[in-house]
Amino acid sequence: MNTSRTLDHLMPGQTARVRRVGSAGALRRRLLDMGLVRGAEIEMLKRAPLGDPIEYRVRGYHLSLRQAEARMIEIEA
Amino acid sequence: MTAGPFTIALAGNPNVGKSTLFNALTGSRQHVGNWPGKTVEKKEGRTTINGRDIVVVDLPGTYSLAAHSVEEIIARDFIICERPQVIIVVVDAANLERNLYLACQILELETPAVLALNMSDEAHKRGVHLDPQALSAALGGIPVVETVGSRGIGLDALKAAIQTALAGSSQPFHLAYDALIEAGIARLAARIGAYPELTAVYPARWLALKLLEADTGIVAQLEREYPALIGAARTIAQNIAETLGDELEILIADQRYQFIGSVISASVTRTGRAQITPSERIDTILTHRIWGIPLFLALMWVVFQFTANVSAPFVDWIDGVISGPITRWASTLLTALGLGGSWVQSLVTDGIIAGVGGVLVFIPVLTFLYLAIALLEDSGYMARAAFIMDRVMRILGLHGKSFLPLLIGFGCTVPAIYATRTLEHEQDRKLTGFLATFMSCGARLPVYVVFASLFFGARAGNLIFALYLLGIVVAFVTGWIMKHLIYRGQPPHPFVMELPPYRLPTLSSVLRTIRGRIQEFVQRAFTIILACSVIIWLLMALPATLDWRDFNQVSISDSWFGAISGVAAPAFAPAGFGQPEAAGVLLSGFIAKEVIIGTISQIYGGETADEADSSTPSTLADDLREIVYTFGQAAVLTAQEAINILPRTANLLPGVDLPEANFLPLEAETDAASGQMNQALTQAFTPLSAVAFTVFVLLYVPCLTALTAMRLEFGVRWMLYQVVYTAAVAWVGAVAVYQGGLLLGLGGG
Ligand SMILES: Nc1nc2c(ncn2[C@@H]2O[C@H](COP(=O)(O)OP(=O)(O)O)[C@@H](O)[C@H]2O)c(=O)[nH]1
Ligand SMILES: [Mg+2]
Repeated sequence: MNTSRTLDHLMPGQTARVRRVGSAGALRRRLLDMGLVRGAEIEMLKRAPLGDPIEYRVRGYHLSLRQAEARMIEIEA
Repeated sequence: MTAGPFTIALAGNPNVGKSTLFNALTGSRQHVGNWPGKTVEKKEGRTTINGRDIVVVDLPGTYSLAAHSVEEIIARDFIICERPQVIIVVVDAANLERNLYLACQILELETPAVLALNMSDEAHKRGVHLDPQALSAALGGIPVVETVGSRGIGLDALKAAIQTALAGSSQPFHLAYDALIEAGIARLAARIGAYPELTAVYPARWLALKLLEADTGIVAQLEREYPALIGAARTIAQNIAETLGDELEILIADQRYQFIGSVISASVTRTGRAQITPSERIDTILTHRIWGIPLFLALMWVVFQFTANVSAPFVDWIDGVISGPITRWASTLLTALGLGGSWVQSLVTDGIIAGVGGVLVFIPVLTFLYLAIALLEDSGYMARAAFIMDRVMRILGLHGKSFLPLLIGFGCTVPAIYATRTLEHEQDRKLTGFLATFMSCGARLPVYVVFASLFFGARAGNLIFALYLLGIVVAFVTGWIMKHLIYRGQPPHPFVMELPPYRLPTLSSVLRTIRGRIQEFVQRAFTIILACSVIIWLLMALPATLDWRDFNQVSISDSWFGAISGVAAPAFAPAGFGQPEAAGVLLSGFIAKEVIIGTISQIYGGETADEADSSTPSTLADDLREIVYTFGQAAVLTAQEAINILPRTANLLPGVDLPEANFLPLEAETDAASGQMNQALTQAFTPLSAVAFTVFVLLYVPCLTALTAMRLEFGVRWMLYQVVYTAAVAWVGAVAVYQGGLLLGLGGG
């Protein structure tokens, strides 16, 4: 199994746990504040009609991330 | 307790019901203004608790004290620097986990606080049961109350809790971090203790924590004066990070959420299984893979129709009342005072009343704009609009939410600029406003129509379409240049956006928003536009010869206004319209694009200014009847325009031809001077220079009101950039068209 899967690889309906938030600066701060810390469960819901951004469910609310942002988040395989 | 007004602030994530609770607490005792130097609404009000007068501040929504957007920075600075006596942390009880994150950060500030579990009705509906006592215990004993802001439930309990918090009985809240981090906090806090001026403002533990987290705001604030402290914090943070194998920022966020997990398991029970909520069901349609985009475009089209067409009857009504009865009354009054026909009368009617009218005519436009925006935002659709359009707008370095302001720009630039407030980041707002002026506004269309039909007859439509397209292309190129040259290397703002549940907007909150924003526009734009109107009047009244006996007696071409046009005219020679008349027309278009045609017919058609109705005497009763009658007319026409959105939209589809409602057939306006004007225009312009002229009108400096709006929203410097850039682009564009045309041999004729 690939050891460093990232969030943008999830298909609709798939769930995963956050392993680590890569990136840095304002983006990482924001992702952490929104609850994407280690162990957080996150479900991919759907892509926007044009394929990007992507909608997720995390901690009971809906969050949308650009694909490039989702790629910064490593998930448990 | 000390006397004097206490300040309490409502803080919390966006859309949790802060404003609803604020309204419930303060009722009509509130005031909407602006945060100093910012274009963010500041809502302040008063309430009485136990006979004591208390100031209540409604803060903008924020997810964290590490602020990102304009709104968040304001909320954070207020909480940290102003230190209200009590902070009411409003949380969405149905979405407690992420909401408690901000709550923890605020509690760590060791300010007296109250936790309002708002939306408790929604929580119950979803089978989420909260135990306020357990929650309070887990959070260090702060008062916790359940509320339903939209129905005023729990207000008394909330007031009692504020009272308790004011008494300051609960002990400071400490979230216990990992032992190693705690040791670091203790060491740094001890060092901070050596700076009494810091501990007077911030709790030492809190400041230590922020420095270890390397909070950008706090670090930036202290870096210059306390380099030793910042250095110590870095060393400690690095040591801990090496031992624990992760950066402190991550570890601290981790542990906060772990703590929240423990708080929730101690105080929340869930019954029943999580079901698909109605909101999620709505969303499967509105953001559907195939239907999402057409539905989005249809909604945006309706919003555009509202600001551009449905508002028009009342714009005309205000315009008519001001230029008709009000002007007549002022003239009558001044004549009675012996000033009839004097320059004073001219100043009052052409300068002051016209200036006041220039502000007032925007009220209907902005009312419909804010109505649409309030509905889109309160319902939760605005976030979906951004979700759907982000992919496209990103090409311009913009945000998905930029689409709406740009679209509104096709109606009028002024509401477009105000619509940029829906964007979170200042840079996005400025850039969107900058590009919005290239969306050809409705007032420019008549100019295209006159020139296109005069010089191109049946092919007029092609030119008009090409002009609109050119505006969009210029906006794209400008956006691309800004993104790749000016903002190059800057990381884009995080998009990371919550998609809040859909909610039914409430009438009272929508009306409050509209009223607040309109009031603000009128207050702030009034003086500027009035002053400009008077200055322009002065330019037209002052004779170029400086002969004071001719003051207010000169024709436009002999005034300073004419003199300035004459000086500017040669600059347009390379574009094919170097006559002073053309320059005068363009100069007048800077006041308002609507007056371009009027000035053309005045200058080229030899028509004297509209003095038609001043000859017919009318009584006060006539005037009042006319005002009321035309108001009724405007109301009917507004309804008609609103109804006609449907057939007009449907008729865009091929093969559909629905009839439009027509309650009040209006007779077409006939213009006696237009024949003479057309002849003069065909002599002054060739088809090629006419195209160059319309290109210039499309691209050049936005009108005075739009510039005023830009100044107020984005600052003087940005407004000046806009003036210079649009002037340059318009000149280059018009010259390129004319010279290019000459090279291609299109100059004849
Ligand atoms: N069901 C429910 N809706 C609420 C409650 N409080 C506020 N609302 C609605 O939630 C929406 C957002 O409220 P608002 O006060 O604008 O939130 P703010 O962004 O925190 O100021 C509005 O449509 C309110 O009518 C509540 O307790 N229960
Ligand atoms: Mg609010």
